[in-house]
Amino acid sequence: MAEKKTRKEPAAKKDTKKPVSKATPAPAATSPDKELGKGARIGVYICHCGTNIAGSVDILAVQEYAKTLPNVAHVDNYQYMCSTPGQKKIEEGIKEHKLTGIVVAACSPRLHEPTFRTATKTGGLNPFRFEMANIREQGSWVHMHDREGATAKAKDAIRIAVAKAALLQDLVPKSVPVTKAALVVGAGVAGMQAALDLANAGIKTYLVEKSPTIGGRMSQLDKTFPTLDCSQCILTPKMVDVGRNPNIELMTYSEIEEVEGYIGNFDVTIRKKARGVLTPAEAEARGIVGGGCNGCGDCDTVCPVIKPNPFEMGMKPRKAIYIYHPQVVPLIYTVDFDSCVKCGLCVEACGEKKAIDLEMKDEFVKVKVGTAILALGYDIFPIEKKDEWGYQKFENVVTSLEFERLICASGPTGGHLVRPSDGKTPKKVAFLLCAGSRDNTGVGKPYCSRFCCMYSLKHAHQIIEKIPGCQPYIFYMDIRSFGKMYEEFYYRIQDEGAKFIRGRVSNILEDPETKNLYVMADDTLLDRPMKLEVDMVVLAAAVQPSADTDRTRKLFGVSCSLDGWLLEAHPKLNPCGTTTAGVFLAGVCQGPKDIPDTVASAEGAASAASIPIHMGEVELEPYFAQCIEEKCAGCGMCVNLCPYQALSLVEKEGRKVMQVTEAKCKGCGTCGGFCPGGAIWMQHFATPQIVAQIDAFLLGGEQ
Amino acid sequence: MARTKGYPEPLEKKLRDTRLYEEDTNPQFTKTVEKISMTIPHMCYQCGTCTASCPSAPRSSYRIRKFVRRALLGLEEEALTDPDLWLCTTCYSCTDRCPRDIAPTDVIMAMRNLAAKRDIVPVNFLKTVQAIYTTGHGVPNNDVNRAARKKLGLNPEPPTTHGFPKYVKGIQYILDYFGLKQRADKIIKEREG
Repeated sequence: MAEKKTRKEPAAKKDTKKPVSKATPAPAATSPDKELGKGARIGVYICHCGTNIAGSVDILAVQEYAKTLPNVAHVDNYQYMCSTPGQKKIEEGIKEHKLTGIVVAACSPRLHEPTFRTATKTGGLNPFRFEMANIREQGSWVHMHDREGATAKAKDAIRIAVAKAALLQDLVPKSVPVTKAALVVGAGVAGMQAALDLANAGIKTYLVEKSPTIGGRMSQLDKTFPTLDCSQCILTPKMVDVGRNPNIELMTYSEIEEVEGYIGNFDVTIRKKARGVLTPAEAEARGIVGGGCNGCGDCDTVCPVIKPNPFEMGMKPRKAIYIYHPQVVPLIYTVDFDSCVKCGLCVEACGEKKAIDLEMKDEFVKVKVGTAILALGYDIFPIEKKDEWGYQKFENVVTSLEFERLICASGPTGGHLVRPSDGKTPKKVAFLLCAGSRDNTGVGKPYCSRFCCMYSLKHAHQIIEKIPGCQPYIFYMDIRSFGKMYEEFYYRIQDEGAKFIRGRVSNILEDPETKNLYVMADDTLLDRPMKLEVDMVVLAAAVQPSADTDRTRKLFGVSCSLDGWLLEAHPKLNPCGTTTAGVFLAGVCQGPKDIPDTVASAEGAASAASIPIHMGEVELEPYFAQCIEEKCAGCGMCVNLCPYQALSLVEKEGRKVMQVTEAKCKGCGTCGGFCPGGAIWMQHFATPQIVAQIDAFLLGGEQ
Repeated sequence: MARTKGYPEPLEKKLRDTRLYEEDTNPQFTKTVEKISMTIPHMCYQCGTCTASCPSAPRSSYRIRKFVRRALLGLEEEALTDPDLWLCTTCYSCTDRCPRDIAPTDVIMAMRNLAAKRDIVPVNFLKTVQAIYTTGHGVPNNDVNRAARKKLGLNPEPPTTHGFPKYVKGIQYILDYFGLKQRADKIIKEREG
């Protein structure tokens, strides 16, 4: 480090001859390290943050100390620097004291860096002439009971920030145009709502769904709480809208294969899986006039292969050429090539329409979009892992999603709830809440799955309504009825006669003769263990991210939390955004949500995703790498190191030099740290700036 | 007694104030139990999975959930003086199933240790100590057992301290080292005279 420092010094001396003109915003790129730090006049502002900082940091001592630091021309403090008078102090200080750089010692830059940058700009300086010293989150808060230590640390933080501020340069953010199109991945209720909102706002939207039909989990449900609307009845109009909207290009049975680019300019490769069936449009493209699949189902009738239908949770058969259910959108059959025997009977039955092509191969489509929304949905936790409840061991233990299909009029039993073991109507049904949720054993999920309480209440209502004399028992730990009209729904179901037992079920036993089940629980309110014989058990199984979530999120560079749900940019203030600019989250993939919350989050994501598109261009922070061409040896070793493919070698004045595609560069510094010739300048995090910070810290301000 | 409104004595006892007062709780007790048991009863959310799994609970007044609650609240006296503390069979079913990953069985064991320090141990447990001291077995062999073993073609005495009585000395050495036998004898004498 010391070596680097001495190497820099002669360069700085050489620069003294050049005229100093600091205030004029110079273009970001050229000759970065010239004129650095000459005649710097730094203003330091210390924030009390009420008592958040002042309660454990001696502000006046810090202020006196800051005055002694090199290049500091003005020091001030204020109760709340982020307030309007606080910002005014910065603006006036710049003019009064001819400041060239601003340091605010306050909270985390995550909170108020934009605020103070704006104030710096209003005061007449380039906004990147601002540096923040975090003396709250990393100071007063963590050393709340150590006033001396917190004060000393605040002094250190300010000394380091001043050292960098003296070397800051004018930078100009880069603007890139935004492609006027959006991508939505996943066409459940979240994806459909997001796509409809974007399309209705006049944005071309590609809606990609891995299943053969849109609709997602919601289309599998019978009724929705607390209003008890039929789920399909309220969903199918949306499905039809999605299918008809001229701004939506629907790609079902498709997956994201590759994502390149950055906000405003994503190049997305989509794999259209071989469906074996042509849409009318595809048929026409092949010269088959008036052909293509019209959903008549003649192929289905003749197909000899029978498989379980995953839409019905495997409780109803489908053929090797199939649709999930009669209301699918688009109404196009799909060939399951894993089970198709290629007998050709369907091709014959299809006849003149020539819709079936058993030799179809996967196709790859490239689209260009400005922003993307991930609406990847959820799966049911494999609840058979909780051995004590006997799922898949005892026939009459089912999951809630299976129950939905069994009670649904369009389901495998025509809406007549029956026991899987003997087809009899159950008279006593136990519902187990928190099955695999709120579980810290490592086998279940530690989080609350959030909608199980409410749908189990709905299930209890449905059996009371449909089966006279049928008694639901709800085994619960807490009933979480937090939404609008939810608590009222709880009241209603209790009034209708559902029995609520506050106790988690420890285990279930089966009577091998009758296939009845013995539910063991502790009635914690009565303080008595109980053994209840029931005809059927419904497990409100936990939810987890859908199987493909991890693969897809990596393609888009989106992080996930420990439990696999995708990570939002801020849990409260930016729940739809991600840390990848231009990629947004909708629905359950961000965390468990019921339908109202899912739709709300989808509309939020659509709104957020449409902003850059409507603005037409986005500003990128100018933290990209720059090549100092006179130093670059053209070795090209940085090119392969770059995780964002932002670097390339180009021919300039007869020799090879590196060139940065600024819009792709994320300023990670991998290349800058590596370059053997020191030819890469990381804007705003340049070597001399970082070295100055380290020196300021280690040398304690000595020169 | 004049102020009891004429209630007979048992009813007077029945009507005493049983509210939980802050003085009844001892936060240090929670910490001590956690240290000995190496588990986390303060994380209990009272779901009842433990009691529902418990083979003792349906046949007795023993409620493991209640003991974990007492550990959480620091109800030292109530926990250590409750004779139910000694009804756990240590089958570990509750530990297997607890969704909060607490080991309730170990909470009970820790409490038994603390109770034993204060000589609160049922006599039958102490008699087990004596039986181990004299025979090497908590439940020594008996004639019914011997007959059953013979019928199965086994040696009437199992290959333990019963088959090799000379090794009882080793067990006695261990028990003497910790003074357990002497302690058991003392307590039994105090109680039974």
